[in-house]
Amino acid sequence: MLHINQLNKSFDQPDGKVSVLQQASLQLEAGQSAALLGESGSGKSTLLHLIAGLDRADGGEIWLQQQPLHQFSDEQFNQLRRTQLSLIFQQYHLVPTLSVFDNLSLQARLTGNLDDDFRQHLIATLGLGPLLKRLPQQLSGGQQQRVAIARSLLHRPALVLADEPTGNLDENTSQQVMQLLSQLVRDNGSSLLMVTHSPAMAAYCDHSWRLQHGRLEAELSA
Amino acid sequence: MRSLLWSWLTLLSHYRRHPSQTLFLLLGLITGVALWSAVHIINAHARASYAEADQLLDAQASHWIQAPNGRVALSDYVALRRAGFRQVYPVLELRLSTLDNQPLTLIATDLMAMSASRTSPTQEQSNSRVDMRAWSQLSQPPYAVWVPASLANSLPLQAGQRLTLRDGRQLPPAVTDSQPRQGQRLFMDIGAAAITLGETHLSYLAVGAIDPAELKRLDQWLNQYAPQLKRRSNQQPLDLTELTASLHIHLNAMSLLAFAVGLFIVFNAVRFALHSRASTLTTLRELGVSARTLTSAIVLEGFTLSLIGTALGLAAGFGLSQLLLPAVAATLQHLYGAVLDQRLLLQPQVLLQAWLLTSVGLLMALVWPLWQRSRQGVLAQRQGVDVLQQEQRSQRRLAISAAVLLAIALLSYPWLNSLAHGFALLAALLFAGAWLLPWLASQCLHWLSQNAKPGLAQWCWAEGQVQLGPLRPALMAMLLALTANFGVDNLVGSFRQALDNWLQQRIAADVYVQSEQLDAHQLSQYAWLLDSHERNGLRLRWQGRPTLIRGLDPSAPDVQQLPMASQSYPQGGAAWPDDGILANEQVQHLAGKQLGDVIYLPLGNGEQQRFTLAGFYYDYGNPYFQFYLPYQRVAQLWPNAQPQGLALWLDEDANMTEVEQALVEAGAQPGDWIDRRAILQLSLRIFDRTFAMTAAINTLTFAVAGIALLAALLAIHQQRLPHYAHWRAMGVSWREWLQLTAVPLALCLMLTWVLSIPLGSALAWLLIHDINVLSFGWTMPLQWQGRPALLLALLCLGVTAIAFAIAALQVRQRLPYALKQLGADE
Repeated sequence: MLHINQLNKSFDQPDGKVSVLQQASLQLEAGQSAALLGESGSGKSTLLHLIAGLDRADGGEIWLQQQPLHQFSDEQFNQLRRTQLSLIFQQYHLVPTLSVFDNLSLQARLTGNLDDDFRQHLIATLGLGPLLKRLPQQLSGGQQQRVAIARSLLHRPALVLADEPTGNLDENTSQQVMQLLSQLVRDNGSSLLMVTHSPAMAAYCDHSWRLQHGRLEAELSA
Repeated sequence: MRSLLWSWLTLLSHYRRHPSQTLFLLLGLITGVALWSAVHIINAHARASYAEADQLLDAQASHWIQAPNGRVALSDYVALRRAGFRQVYPVLELRLSTLDNQPLTLIATDLMAMSASRTSPTQEQSNSRVDMRAWSQLSQPPYAVWVPASLANSLPLQAGQRLTLRDGRQLPPAVTDSQPRQGQRLFMDIGAAAITLGETHLSYLAVGAIDPAELKRLDQWLNQYAPQLKRRSNQQPLDLTELTASLHIHLNAMSLLAFAVGLFIVFNAVRFALHSRASTLTTLRELGVSARTLTSAIVLEGFTLSLIGTALGLAAGFGLSQLLLPAVAATLQHLYGAVLDQRLLLQPQVLLQAWLLTSVGLLMALVWPLWQRSRQGVLAQRQGVDVLQQEQRSQRRLAISAAVLLAIALLSYPWLNSLAHGFALLAALLFAGAWLLPWLASQCLHWLSQNAKPGLAQWCWAEGQVQLGPLRPALMAMLLALTANFGVDNLVGSFRQALDNWLQQRIAADVYVQSEQLDAHQLSQYAWLLDSHERNGLRLRWQGRPTLIRGLDPSAPDVQQLPMASQSYPQGGAAWPDDGILANEQVQHLAGKQLGDVIYLPLGNGEQQRFTLAGFYYDYGNPYFQFYLPYQRVAQLWPNAQPQGLALWLDEDANMTEVEQALVEAGAQPGDWIDRRAILQLSLRIFDRTFAMTAAINTLTFAVAGIALLAALLAIHQQRLPHYAHWRAMGVSWREWLQLTAVPLALCLMLTWVLSIPLGSALAWLLIHDINVLSFGWTMPLQWQGRPALLLALLCLGVTAIAFAIAALQVRQRLPYALKQLGADE
C-alpha cells in the first residue's frame, strides 16, 4: 500500500548541509498502522511531509497504492491530499472561524464525498454531539483533536498521516484520543502512519519504526 | 468548482466571525465609492444640464430675438405671432433682490405659446410633466410663483407665502415645488408678471424648433418690419460645456483623491484579513486545495466585497450628491450662470465605473500578498516569515519608488502645459510623499531606539517599528488627507485674500446703479456726487469662446486704479492708446496673447476690427474673455451695446436717504442700486458658497482618513493582544502599556503632519501657479498661511486621540480573556 524506497532528504543550515533521511525505506500494508519513533529533529515529520507532498525528497521513491508519488506534480499532490490522504497535526489546524460541525465536514465537502450517516457515526463515536455549534477556541485541546480526527476520516482516506496527534494532550486524554483514532482507522479500513515520541502511544499501532541517523529501523511489534 | 465554493465559503466565514473587520472594510469601500460617485453623479448631471441649458421648463430655444436696449416691445411679439410664427414665445427675465439683498432671477413666459412652440416628440412627451391645473393657477388671480424647493428653504419661504422684494413689490403666493429645467429660478406666467410687477416690455423672444425655410422667412420679416430686433442662434450649451470643463476636472480630481484615501482603508482591511487568515489558508492547502483554487476563492471574495461595497457606496453617494448638489449648483450658477436641475438620476455607467474602480482597488490590495504566498510552499507558509524584515524591505521599495516618482515629476515640470499633465504631477507628488513616509518614520524610530536609554524608552521605539507595518496604509491615508486639506486651504485662502484685495480696488465706487430708466445727467447737479462712471457693453464670441466687451470711462477713478498684471502704456490720466485695448489675464493665459499682439474682434455688421493689446488686468473668477475699451468707442463700433450700469462716488458726508431719493427722482426703482459694502459682502458670500463643495469634500476626506486610522489601530491591537497579555504577565502596568503603544503612534502622526506641510505647500503652489492658470487663466500670489496647519494639527490630534481611545478601550475589555489564553495550545 505505502512503499518507501531509499528516500533521501537534506536541509541547508548555516553550519552546512544536514542530512535527515538517508536511504530510508518503509512498507505499510492496507488497513495497518505504524508508529514512527525517534528523537526531536530526527526527520520524522519530514518523512510525513514528503509523503503528503508538502516537501520534496532529494532522491528515492514513494509509492502509494501503486502510484509513484515521487513523480507527482503539485496539482497531483493537491488531488491526493484532498481524496486519498489526510493529515492530523499536533496543533490541530482547525479553521478558527468555522463551527465544529463545519470544521469536521470541511475536507469531505471539498472532495464531494460527504456521507451523512458516517458523519453522524463519527460525531457519536468521538462524543462531539454537544459541541457542534462551538468554535474551535471554545474547545479544550483534546476536543479540538477529536474534531481534527473526524475531519481527517470523514472522506474515507486510504492513508492517515498523524504528526504527534497527542503531543499537546495530557496522558489520559492522549490515551482516549489514541484509542478512538486507532479504532476508527481500523473500522474505516484506512492505514495510519503516526509520528510520536511516546512508546505508549506507539503501542496502539500494529508496527513501530525508529528513525535514527536518517535510517528507518523496524522495531518489534507492540 | 466544489473545492472553489467551499474554500470561498470558508474564507467568508472570517467576516462573519469578525464583524468589526467586515465593518471597516465595507466602510472603506462605501466611503470611497460614496465620495467618488457623489461628485461623479453631480458632474454627469451638470453636463447633462448644459445640454439642456437653454431649456425653460423643457422647452428648447433654438434662437433668441433681442433688441439692442434689452427691451422687446409687446407689439413686436404680437406682430410676429400674427405673421404666423407660432415657434416664437415671449420671455421676461428679471434680476430681483430680496429684503436682505439676496439676488434672485425670475423668468416669466406665456406657457401656452411656449407649449405650442414644441414640436419634437420628446418635447411633446415632456409636456405632461407640467400639470395643466398648475398652469391655470399661474395665469389666474391671485396668480402664483413657482419657487424651487431648495431656494424656498434658503430664503426661507413657505408655500402660499408672498415674497417681498427690496423695492417693496410683492410676488404672488409661492408654490414651492421644482419644475423640470427650472433651476434656481422663480417662474411666473408673463401676464401675471406684467400685472403684479408692472413690467411693460419683454426681455427677449425665444424661438422653438424651426425649419430652415421658416427661419429664412423670420429673418426677412425681422429685416422688413422690426430691423431693431436681431436674431442669434443659441450656443449656450456649447459655451457652458467649455467654460465649466476645468471646474469638473477639479471636482473629479478631488473625488478621486477621496476615493484613494478610502482605498487605503480597504487596503489595510484586506491585508489584515489575509494576515488573520494565514493559518486558515495554509490549512486549506494542507487539505488539498490548490494554490490556484485558493487564489480564485480570494479573488471571488474580493469580487463579492466589491459588489456589496459598490452597491452600498453608490446608495450613500447618491444621498451625498443630493446634499452636495445645492453647493455645486450655487457655484455653477454664480460662476457661469449655468442652471442645474434639482432632480438627480443615477446612470448605469456610474454603477459600472464605481464597481470597476473598487474591483481594481481590491485587486491592487490583493495582488502582492497573493503573489508572495503563491511563491511559498505549504510548509514555508506554516513556518511563517519575518514580518519585520519583510516590512523593512517594503519600506525601502516604496521609498525608492517615491524617489523615482519625484524625479519624474521634477524632470517633467518644465514641460507642463496641460491640465492632465498638471493633475498627473499632483498625483505623483502626493503619492511620492505617501510612499516616502513609512521609510522616514522607520528611520526616525530606528534612530530613536538606537539612542534611547535602555529600558522602557528603547522598547517603546522598537515597539513603534512593529506597529509601523500595519499602521502604514493609515498613515499614508492621513498624509494624503492632511496634504490635500492644507494645500487646498492655502489655495482657497490665497484666492480669497487676492479676491478681497482686488474687490477693494475694483469696487471702489460707493453706489452701483443698474437701471434702464435712469437719467445719469440729472444726478450731476447734486453736490454730494464726486464722480460717476457709466459703462456699456455686449457679449460676442471670440476664438470660439463667449467674450465680453465693456466700454468704460478711462478717466474714472476705478479705471485709473485698475489692478494691472502688465501694460504697455502709462496708466493714470494718459490718453487711451489709439487702437489699444485692455484684456483680462484670461486672454493672456488661455488665448496665449502677449502685450503688443494684434487681435481682431467681430463687429455687428460682420466686419472685423483691429486692436493692439495694451495691457492685461487681473479679473479673478471671470470665466469669460473680457476686453475694455473707451465707452464712446464701444458705442460707435457696436451700436447694439447695452448699458452696464453706473458707478457713483459720493461725498463722505452724503446722506444715503437723500441719495436714494435722488436716484428715484432720476428714474431708478428702489432695488436698482446696491452700495459698496453690500456688493463686497455679496461677492465674498458668493465666493464662500462657491468653495463650499471643496470644503465639504476635504472634510469628508479627512473623516475617511480618521476611519482608516481607527481601523488600523483596532487591527493592530487585535493582532497583538496575545503579546499584550504576555506584557501584562511580565508585570507591565496599564500606564506603561499606554506609553509603549501611544508614544510611537503620536510620533508617527506628528511626522505625518510635519511632512504634510511642505507637501501641502508644494500642492498649493502647483495649484496656484500652474493648474489654476491652465484651468481658469488667472494668476494670484500664494499667501502661505500657518493657521490651517495648526488647525489640521489639532484636528489630527483629536482624530488620533479618539481612535486610540476606542482601540485602547477594546484592548482593556479583551485583555482578561487574552490573559486566560496564555499557556493555551495556540
